[in-house]
Amino acid sequence: MLVRAVAGVAGVAFGFLISWAGLTDPDRIREMLLFEDWYLYPMFVSAVVVGFVGLRALRGSGFRAFVTRDLVTWTTARPRQRHVVGSVLFGTGWAVADACPGPVAAQLGYASLWSLCTAAGVVAGIVLYLRREEAKVARVTAPPLLAQGEA
Amino acid sequence: MNDFFLERPPWWIVGPGLGLIVVFVQATINRRLGVLGGFSAVVERSTGRRREFGWKAWFLLGVLLGGTLYGLLSGRLWLTEYGWLTRTFTGSEAWLVAPVLVGAGVLIGYGAKTAGGCTSGNGLAGCAAASPASLVATVTFFGTAIVGSFALRSLGAA
Repeated sequence: MLVRAVAGVAGVAFGFLISWAGLTDPDRIREMLLFEDWYLYPMFVSAVVVGFVGLRALRGSGFRAFVTRDLVTWTTARPRQRHVVGSVLFGTGWAVADACPGPVAAQLGYASLWSLCTAAGVVAGIVLYLRREEAKVARVTAPPLLAQGEA
Repeated sequence: MNDFFLERPPWWIVGPGLGLIVVFVQATINRRLGVLGGFSAVVERSTGRRREFGWKAWFLLGVLLGGTLYGLLSGRLWLTEYGWLTRTFTGSEAWLVAPVLVGAGVLIGYGAKTAGGCTSGNGLAGCAAASPASLVATVTFFGTAIVGSFALRSLGAA
């Protein structure tokens, strides 16, 4: 329960901040991607730097998470083809809609009506991905039907 | 209307603020935040793939309500314009905005899910965690979005 509340509070802060910063405004994002407005880049880098330093400080000091009481730690992943292929598809969608999932959610929150279409697409894209993954698993684990009988 | 909220804060407030939210989530529930994961959690719960919504769905709900809070404070609510799309497709072509945005959404959802995260999960939190996969993903989607925006402009996007 407390975990959900904390996640919700973090989400409100996140959604409010990106909205106030204009990061949910498709025109603003487009200007940034066309280098007419540089705001996005130092903003993004400073966010990553503060996050990086903060996370290292937590882990380095053996910090136990306030709510879950476990030692702060995380896993990292090595880059694979899917990270590149997926990000090319995602980046293309981002260029068209001038929004990524965070802004889409915040846009829904202040009733930017067209974002209903983007959100519906995101949901459909996720369903498509899940089905495709499940089909892959099914192919791998399915019993070989032709192995018995005539063969 | 409140003009204070119509003017964006400087980047050196917003950037570190977002970074601190990443740290806050790790320091409280020891998780890596991500908005796409929130959408996915809702999809997985509502299609019976999962029994619970999970914390990410609550994070997503928070982001949405954060947008509502901003809308109420700034007066930016009920918007019917949408960037270059509603400027480019007007009159009898206006309906085209819907399929274009749905298509873009599919690319965003399917692509980011394949890459293991979006601008928040891979870009902010994954890079803050110095995950090599997230760094590669972030450079890739930023690069693609930049190239895509220039391409769209050259194709006549208003």
